[in-house]
Amino acid sequence: MFESLFEFLFKYRPLIFDQGAFALRASWFGLLAAGAAAAGAYLTFRTYLQVRGNSRPLDRAVLCGIRIAALAVVAFCLLRPVLVLSSVVPQENFLGVLIDDSRSMQIADTDETPRLDFVREQLGTPESALRSALADRFALRFFRFSSETDRVAAVDELEYAGSRTHVGQALERAHDELSGVPLSGLVVVSDGADNADGGLGEALLPLQASGVPVFTVGLGEEEYERDIQMNRVDMPRRVLKGASLAVDLVVTHRGYRGESVTVQVEDEGRIVATQEVVLPADGEPETVRMRFTAAEEGPRLYSFSVAPQPGEMVTRNNVRQGLMVVEDRRRKILYFEGEPRWEVKFLLRGVDDDENLQVTLLQRTAENKFFRVNVDGPDELPGGFPTQRADLFDYSGLVLGSIEANHFTPDQLRMIADFVNRRGGGLLMLGSHRSFAEGGYAGTPVADVLPVVLPAVPADSEEGFFAEVKVSATRAGESHAATQIADTEEASAARWDTLPPVTVVNPITEAKPGATVLLTAPDDLVILAFQRYGAGKSLALPIQDSWMWQMHADVPVEDETHETFWRRLLRWVVDGVPEQVAVELSSDRAEPEEVVTVTATVVDPRFEELNNSAVVAVVTRPDGSVIERQMEWTAERDGEYRTTFTAGGEGFYEVHVEASTGGELLGEDAAYLQVAAGDSEFYDSTMRGSLLRRMADDTGGRFYTSDTAAALAEDIQYVGGGVTVVEERDLWDMPFLLLLLAGLILGEWGYRRFRGLA
Amino acid sequence: MRPSGIVPIALLIVSLAMSAFGGLRAAPQQPESDFRSLIEQRRPSLKRPGGPSEFYFTRGVYSSGWRWASWATDYPKADRQFMLAVNSLIDISAAEHENAVRLNDPEIRRYPFLYALEVGNMALTASEAAGLRDYLLAGGFLVIDDFWGSWEWANFEREIRRVLPHHRIVEVPLTHPIFNAVYRIDEVLQVPAIGNHWAGRTWEGDGFVPHVRGIFDEDGRLMVIINWNTDLGDAWEWFERPEYPLMYSSFAVQMGVNFIVYAMSH
Repeated sequence: MFESLFEFLFKYRPLIFDQGAFALRASWFGLLAAGAAAAGAYLTFRTYLQVRGNSRPLDRAVLCGIRIAALAVVAFCLLRPVLVLSSVVPQENFLGVLIDDSRSMQIADTDETPRLDFVREQLGTPESALRSALADRFALRFFRFSSETDRVAAVDELEYAGSRTHVGQALERAHDELSGVPLSGLVVVSDGADNADGGLGEALLPLQASGVPVFTVGLGEEEYERDIQMNRVDMPRRVLKGASLAVDLVVTHRGYRGESVTVQVEDEGRIVATQEVVLPADGEPETVRMRFTAAEEGPRLYSFSVAPQPGEMVTRNNVRQGLMVVEDRRRKILYFEGEPRWEVKFLLRGVDDDENLQVTLLQRTAENKFFRVNVDGPDELPGGFPTQRADLFDYSGLVLGSIEANHFTPDQLRMIADFVNRRGGGLLMLGSHRSFAEGGYAGTPVADVLPVVLPAVPADSEEGFFAEVKVSATRAGESHAATQIADTEEASAARWDTLPPVTVVNPITEAKPGATVLLTAPDDLVILAFQRYGAGKSLALPIQDSWMWQMHADVPVEDETHETFWRRLLRWVVDGVPEQVAVELSSDRAEPEEVVTVTATVVDPRFEELNNSAVVAVVTRPDGSVIERQMEWTAERDGEYRTTFTAGGEGFYEVHVEASTGGELLGEDAAYLQVAAGDSEFYDSTMRGSLLRRMADDTGGRFYTSDTAAALAEDIQYVGGGVTVVEERDLWDMPFLLLLLAGLILGEWGYRRFRGLA
Repeated sequence: MRPSGIVPIALLIVSLAMSAFGGLRAAPQQPESDFRSLIEQRRPSLKRPGGPSEFYFTRGVYSSGWRWASWATDYPKADRQFMLAVNSLIDISAAEHENAVRLNDPEIRRYPFLYALEVGNMALTASEAAGLRDYLLAGGFLVIDDFWGSWEWANFEREIRRVLPHHRIVEVPLTHPIFNAVYRIDEVLQVPAIGNHWAGRTWEGDGFVPHVRGIFDEDGRLMVIINWNTDLGDAWEWFERPEYPLMYSSFAVQMGVNFIVYAMSH
């Protein structure tokens, strides 16, 4: 609007004035006429000084000013003002036109017209308006870009099917290809929905250095009126079968404030969770916690979606998918108990049904006499607690019950600390008169690992400590997977408040910095806390009779709270504990023909990194064919091996890695990859005006929309580089000057009439 | 790792017997009619006194038929002597005194180990049957002892059917872990009541063959162990008496220790 008005008044658009230099090109006649106008102005001034009549001094001053201004306008025109411009020589310069070929161009967000229609109408044929205007001035070179950039002969070669947009790569490619010719600039026609991993800054540097401006044409709306988007899904990559999951989804929207929508989770087509959510204010993210059970083993593709709503601009961004490997294997936990305790019976009973947990009990019944339950064979733990790291590190979790620190040798205490720190295992210490400070752990390596501060004076050394307490969940505990004892967060928090009291003999009131307290009790007693330590995690549960949550008379016989608590707690203890061989992919989702990086970490049974192992990755494609890759030590990190492969067609890929040393198998692991054309183009798919403006501003170009793109050709003519000539444009015939002159004359006449002057 | 020989237990029992005999002699025996008041007096607290104990040898108090309170047979001497042995043999925080709790007392669930004997005369009230059912299904462990012959078995079976109508009673084989929890039990001995021993026999009525039977829950966990045609309690009660054979006392203590350790770990 502003530009149109400006152009109407001043004959040219603001850009022309920006680019041009002002000059006067008066001829001798013009100079003479201008001199006459100046003389006329002087005479006018003199005349108004002498005239008296019925006029006041103010009237004479106003009329004199108007008359002189009119004569000045005439004099200005007679001096022939011009704009001196540098203009590209027609057909001597090249112009690269880069057109977005990605799927987001199919979005019909402006007047229900797909973004690609602009390309077809304005650039599709040689007769198209914009193309024709450009072609009159430049030699055009067309490129299409999405995840790759290609030169195209005709615009109708574009398919708008690309699943990613890499604008930076497209600029680099076009600049490289046109580097040997006089280049006036690059035109990028896109919605700007760049979803490449790398930044754009590096791609702009060579353009800035060589003075090639980038002109961007932004297609689509910068803000949707009504749209809902599944922004993010935070889910674990691996879980044990039967794991109760709490997955956080972040939903954003515009135009649906206060409306209730259905969020659901599907496990390969089967709905496993639904929840009604009331949407907050526009643009405000809403975090939704979805709870479901990983019931089926293997690589599972979960879909998290919001049901499409009436009037939504884009519905394909309502869904996100995530690949999760559900492992049906038993995680071994060593539970070392120093005396017969009811906690043992009920803990084992609580996880008895869990086929993915194997709690091996080593219980001291008398001095140097041990009782073993759930061992794999007679050779497991024959002499009590392991004395070799490899034997202890065979377990994923370690529970220390009522066992005093003095039972362990100094090396065993260090070994327990290493179990967490180095091996990445989960350590849980239970309350009793032989654990924590009361068990003499203060000052030991185990105390360093624990998430709580052990009192300097054990309670047993004085009168002893004994408290019967009711446990409640902290804010963190209400939502934490380990302390979910009911189906919903609210029900879980309420259940904690109604559980019968338990007893504490370890007065622990302080968690370490960095630790998280999940359960607490009056008088600031810490009941359950955890912290990450090194590669693993440690937990403290200083109560001695959680079995009261099962056996108390107030707890119905059929109540499963105690079992649920222990199952979830122990599952969380071993969650994410690494094995000797661990494989990771650069992403669990790839585009067809994308290069995928496989990284494996290999350690020996003592969890010392191995750099000389034979590591082989076998990739099984969806059609059953395999690719075998020898993995090489990266030399960047001990124990890290890497290789790459190129994904082929769509489907699930299994990457199986085996590591061996001296012909002996160390371990194996598998990761999974989903290869498919992604929907990333439909997320954050509004036109990214800020990015397009930045590209133009940083390189000296300009940003246009579909409405303003008609000026593109002329603008490049004066802004672009390449072979140029100097061009002058007259300003004397600007409508503004005529209007100004007419306005002054009419103003004088009107003033006289108003004042009743002759 | 696990002692299986009878000699160490025998030596221990002899030494315990010498100390226990003197102590018990010094304390006057409670008259049978005062059992109810005795229950209340000696009812322990999980909190106190003398610090909380992890294990309480808890005797189930049930209603019986025409006879006097049969639940209290050998009470409390057998309980005390057995606890003396247990505390000496294994590293356990066990209360030394007896603990009798009625089956219909909600507090019974604080004590997951329960001992009941002379069940041949058991006549449970409805609330006792319900209390015991809840106790067992919640995770309690019941040891049955000292009842003999087919008539008493029939009475017990009828009563336990009222508690657990859908659970089968089966023979517990010697390969079961309960016979190997601490001491290896290779043979189930018939432990005689002291009177029968004096009479020169080990059996009573038509109970000639000892049996160890069990009731398992739906997950295959043992929740009731039934010692039929044998009297472990008398062996605990009288192990200080020189005329009572050490063989039986040792066996009874080994069985009892195994029951406790198994119950606390399975």
